[in-house]
Amino acid sequence: MTVSEPHGDDIRKQPRVHFDRHAPEYRDQFEEQTRAFHAGCPLAWSDTYGGHWVAAGNRELLAFARAGQKLSNDHDVNGERRGYQGINIPAPARGKGFRGGFLEMDPPEQRAYRNALNPYLSPAAIARWIPFIDEVARACLDEKIESGRIDFVDDLANIVPAVFTLAMMGVPLKKWELYNEPAHAGVYTPPGSPEMARVVEAHMAMLKDIAATLHEVRAHPRPGLADALARLEIDGKPPSDIDLVGAMALLIGGGFDTTTALTAHALEWLSQHPDERARLVRERDTLLDTATEEFLRYFTPAPGDGRTVAENCEIAGKEFEEGERVWLSWAMANRDPAVFPDPDRVDLERGGNRHTAFGLGIHRCIGSNVARTVFKRMLIQVLDRIPDFVCDAENTVHYETIGVIQGMRHLPATFTPGPRLGPGLEETLASLQQVCDEQGLAEPVTVRKAEAKIR
Amino acid sequence: MKVRVDPERCQGHTLCAMRAPKVFELSEIDGHSSPINEEVPDDQQDQVVEAVRSCPERAISVF
Repeated sequence: MTVSEPHGDDIRKQPRVHFDRHAPEYRDQFEEQTRAFHAGCPLAWSDTYGGHWVAAGNRELLAFARAGQKLSNDHDVNGERRGYQGINIPAPARGKGFRGGFLEMDPPEQRAYRNALNPYLSPAAIARWIPFIDEVARACLDEKIESGRIDFVDDLANIVPAVFTLAMMGVPLKKWELYNEPAHAGVYTPPGSPEMARVVEAHMAMLKDIAATLHEVRAHPRPGLADALARLEIDGKPPSDIDLVGAMALLIGGGFDTTTALTAHALEWLSQHPDERARLVRERDTLLDTATEEFLRYFTPAPGDGRTVAENCEIAGKEFEEGERVWLSWAMANRDPAVFPDPDRVDLERGGNRHTAFGLGIHRCIGSNVARTVFKRMLIQVLDRIPDFVCDAENTVHYETIGVIQGMRHLPATFTPGPRLGPGLEETLASLQQVCDEQGLAEPVTVRKAEAKIR
Repeated sequence: MKVRVDPERCQGHTLCAMRAPKVFELSEIDGHSSPINEEVPDDQQDQVVEAVRSCPERAISVF
């Protein structure tokens, strides 16, 4: 056997790794694999999924974030441009024909969407909703507090982000289950499993309702993100309906499962570390912000995004060719020892926490302020009302694979029962719907500055 | 100490305003940050240094 000298692409595509983030073992081997990346190959080539680069170092990700037009998020579903595949590696079969909203677009189109939606999602815009968020979380806990048992995923962390996302969009709150099933099960259900047919059906029902919502708000305008999208014009023309549905599906996908994942992992960790939980309760005013950022860093619910190289170029000291795919691993960069001392340890008061859980650059998670606020409000109520919760490790179900979302299906827990404070979820959602409608809560912050008034 | 936020680099992560709320203000529209005053008060310098260390985009500089 002869061994030929490496040449051309073989020389350029170095170092080589085998990286398969969709494999079930990746979840268990995450820390070990991540350490290997940081030790010798923060930017490497993997032959998996048609071949792609993997960027794992914080410095490398920052270089990509600043690469501007050298990188593209475009998902050219109809083969009208350069055939790029968007932000998933590989592009999912389920989403064929759909762009993943403005996350699969480049400027100036992407900027037009962000400019239209930002005034609904800025820190000032989200702060107005805190009494609303608190009321949903209160009702969720009231449903369970007398029993001493809760599933933090099913009974709290799935519901509050879902209801709040629909409220901001201008979709009736009572529809949260119609949206929750595909947004949650659509991520964790393995392709080819017997449940997939049901999930696809639920996904279709959601898309249908999104399209119906667009038609409704056009005919009878009501405030919210759906209205902002329905009125959007780019260069004087409205986007296609299919692009608008894609944008709404992106807001749902971004708003639902990610905050659920963050909350479940943080609560599981606090149950496993009762001393740290007691400290967080005691020093909440000073620790809540840094603890939240640390949970974001450590658990990184959305582990990464794909990009396509849009021109032959050099980034972070490597040569790239147009059309090559790059996986930007926010999760691995968040364990980069060059930036985070002792990166595999949770430090609730960590300083210098320049984490990448919301991405970097112009595509920074548009819902980052939603995620932080909803997470903090749920956590505060859990710590206030059921501070002695103990999670049931045996019946906890993590996602089998963490290639798309590092999430959890179930997190059952027990606690000392306590008294209810108000009505249950259904009644609460009915009265909150009235509050949304009467006070126009879903208006952008440019129109309405006042905080929601509940009762 | 003076502080500057590079508007081209800032993407509205809001960590600076968490660390030094008396120094940075966030746009009501998109959460992008800017210093309220370029001159940092003496009692805010530690917080500003921490804001510099916390910015994911490395958009803040002190001089």
